[in-house]
Amino acid sequence: MDVTPRYLGGDSFLGRRDPRVLMLVPVFYLVGVARIDDVRVILACALVALAYYHAARIPWREVRANWIFILAIVTITVLLNSVFTDAMQIEATKTAEPLFTMPLTDNAVSAATLSYSATLLIRFLALAMVSFPIAFCVAPGDLGVTFARLKVSQRLAFGVDLTFRFLPSTAAGMQEIIDAQRVRGYDHPRTSNPVKRLRSLKPIVIPLTVNALIDAEDTSNAMDLRGFGAKHRTWMRELAFDRTDYLVLAFFAALTVALLSYKIFGSDVVWVP
Amino acid sequence: MSTEAVSPRPPLWEINSRVVVFAAVGAALYAVLGLISFTIPGTQLVDVRPAFALVMFFGIRFGPIVGLFTGLVGNIVIDTIKGYGTFTYWHWSVSNALAGLLAAVLFALLASRIKRQAWRLIVVGIIAELALALGFLFSITDMWLQGSAFETWLATAYGPLLVSNTLVALILTPALDAVWEPIAARVGR
Repeated sequence: MDVTPRYLGGDSFLGRRDPRVLMLVPVFYLVGVARIDDVRVILACALVALAYYHAARIPWREVRANWIFILAIVTITVLLNSVFTDAMQIEATKTAEPLFTMPLTDNAVSAATLSYSATLLIRFLALAMVSFPIAFCVAPGDLGVTFARLKVSQRLAFGVDLTFRFLPSTAAGMQEIIDAQRVRGYDHPRTSNPVKRLRSLKPIVIPLTVNALIDAEDTSNAMDLRGFGAKHRTWMRELAFDRTDYLVLAFFAALTVALLSYKIFGSDVVWVP
Repeated sequence: MSTEAVSPRPPLWEINSRVVVFAAVGAALYAVLGLISFTIPGTQLVDVRPAFALVMFFGIRFGPIVGLFTGLVGNIVIDTIKGYGTFTYWHWSVSNALAGLLAAVLFALLASRIKRQAWRLIVVGIIAELALALGFLFSITDMWLQGSAFETWLATAYGPLLVSNTLVALILTPALDAVWEPIAARVGR
């Protein structure tokens, strides 16, 4: 299992931005599109997200598996919650004329149902598009200073930095444990019984956790010896917004304000052709 | 004759080097082990995630800041690695964080002085379950963020989560606590 952060968009337009821009843009975007119901509006927003994602120049072959996974999960979720069942209970889908009824669940599907399902699907994918640059265009070493400059406590910002440093060694530790158990003849049982499945994870979770905690004691002692937290921490990397950063942030802030105004003062309803 | 060096408990809300390191270790462990999960069909991407026990364990053992950080950052990293988007389900990350925080606070209030191992493990299991149930009430924000009805949230988000992770809270959290107890005593923590 590879959980090492991959830095794939270093030379791209987004890779050259201040990492705080990449953190703030998804927040603006999320607030803006959170409850948009009109598929035409969400499509326009998705085009903005696509342009933003394109600016990250993340190689397709590197993230193909991620996209296949997201597409599969999101499609299944949307189909189950709004086409096969009426789990979302949207008002417009109740009053619309049904086009057909789903077999097994007897859920009536109307043009409004399909329109709303498309809205949900596009919204999820657009949100993934604006979030991918955080995972692939922020250098792992910049995460700590990014959070510190976003006014998160210096110590917790250092904690975020440490988390990403510990990820590869934790994953490697887990693989070592699994391999060591296999060498000794223990194979993890494959079962669909949830209780047995849970119990089968104990031989991995417990040694991995205990090993990590014992190592953590050493790290904590080393930090104490170096005077961690005694004075205000400085960071090697200096972050500064340039004019392009301000323009990108201003654009997304304006988009968020426009979408919020549309939701509050406009007529955001499920669009039926 | 044996002696055990037991250092006094630091204040609950202090952020020292130990808190920072254990929070980071907790988040990394939760992120790596949290990838071993399966989504329950027909729910709003609710996962059965055995590693969730770690959030409560870290809260109970190392304090509320560690529990909060492990749940929050761990869940954000899982969402990022899986590709759901770093902040798309921010309210679920906050729910994870609250579960860790509440486990720590409840333990400090109710169970920190229990000496008998068997009683302690039972109480840890109950506290983990309580923290799970209370912390994830925050996911009711789904109603405003996704426009879903209360019944929908209950039937496709909160309900499945509670049912599927009850076993995790009741089995794995006390198991982790039981294993860590003698080691903690040995290193004087």
